Amino acid sequence: MTGSSPRSHGAAPVGGAQEPPAERVPARPEAAVLAWLLPGLGHLYVGHRRRGVLILVATALLVAGGVLIGGPDVVDRRNDRLWFIAQAGCGPVVFVLDAFRERVSPAQSWDFSVRAGSDARQRYVDGDPELRRQLRRASIGHVNEIGTLYIALAGLMNLVVVLDFFNPHRVPSPRERAAREGGGA
Amino acid sequence: MTATLAWVPFLTPLTAVQPVWYLLAIPFAVLISMIWKAIRVEDMREYARHVSVMATLIVLGLLTLAILLTLLVEVGIPAIPVQRP
Repeated sequence: MTGSSPRSHGAAPVGGAQEPPAERVPARPEAAVLAWLLPGLGHLYVGHRRRGVLILVATALLVAGGVLIGGPDVVDRRNDRLWFIAQAGCGPVVFVLDAFRERVSPAQSWDFSVRAGSDARQRYVDGDPELRRQLRRASIGHVNEIGTLYIALAGLMNLVVVLDFFNPHRVPSPRERAAREGGGA
Repeated sequence: MTATLAWVPFLTPLTAVQPVWYLLAIPFAVLISMIWKAIRVEDMREYARHVSVMATLIVLGLLTLAILLTLLVEVGIPAIPVQRP
């Protein structure tokens, strides 16, 4: 990516120089599952303490930032299904956020459509205070877009982290490196 | 003013940032770079530098795209001659 990484990705020897074969790190499916359950937990599990904490902090800030900017309405399994699929990469926390939104802000723009068959329009016209409170929590415009994007990108980035545990050229943790050197000696 | 006073963190949208929404791309770029470089950088002493470079490149890339699209919409498309019947 940056060209500064000393890792070899199976490049052919140049000028007859004998390069050692690229080291392959075994897949860690259990770490991948942990990484999905809580971003960064997979790296903490394999012994990458600092990397795990950085992933956890950055993902938490993206998710918290998304909800802070757009309110709970930015995670919506019912109406923004495609975005929700991307957001689900963050793990169970997104499902909890969706349940939270469903509780505090269940009114949706669709409910006001005549075809929806709900009584939301009439309740709004009648000045239902609970419905008006719910609508104040619904976000529109740029704040909704940016909030949704923050959490969707957090989910996709965590998916990259999860998939990295199946990458044979990923950076081995000190523990994995020590185990390999111990096994090879 | 009323909207700002009524703001409840994590419960109501932060409408105050609506006029400067594009500035939110900066923390976004930094956090994305933090996650990507946490799994890609081999020597963690180089981590901060790699994150700074990647975040700067993302923001510059977005800025370039914005300028190009603005030129296309404001200059390029209006310059297309209109064919009258």
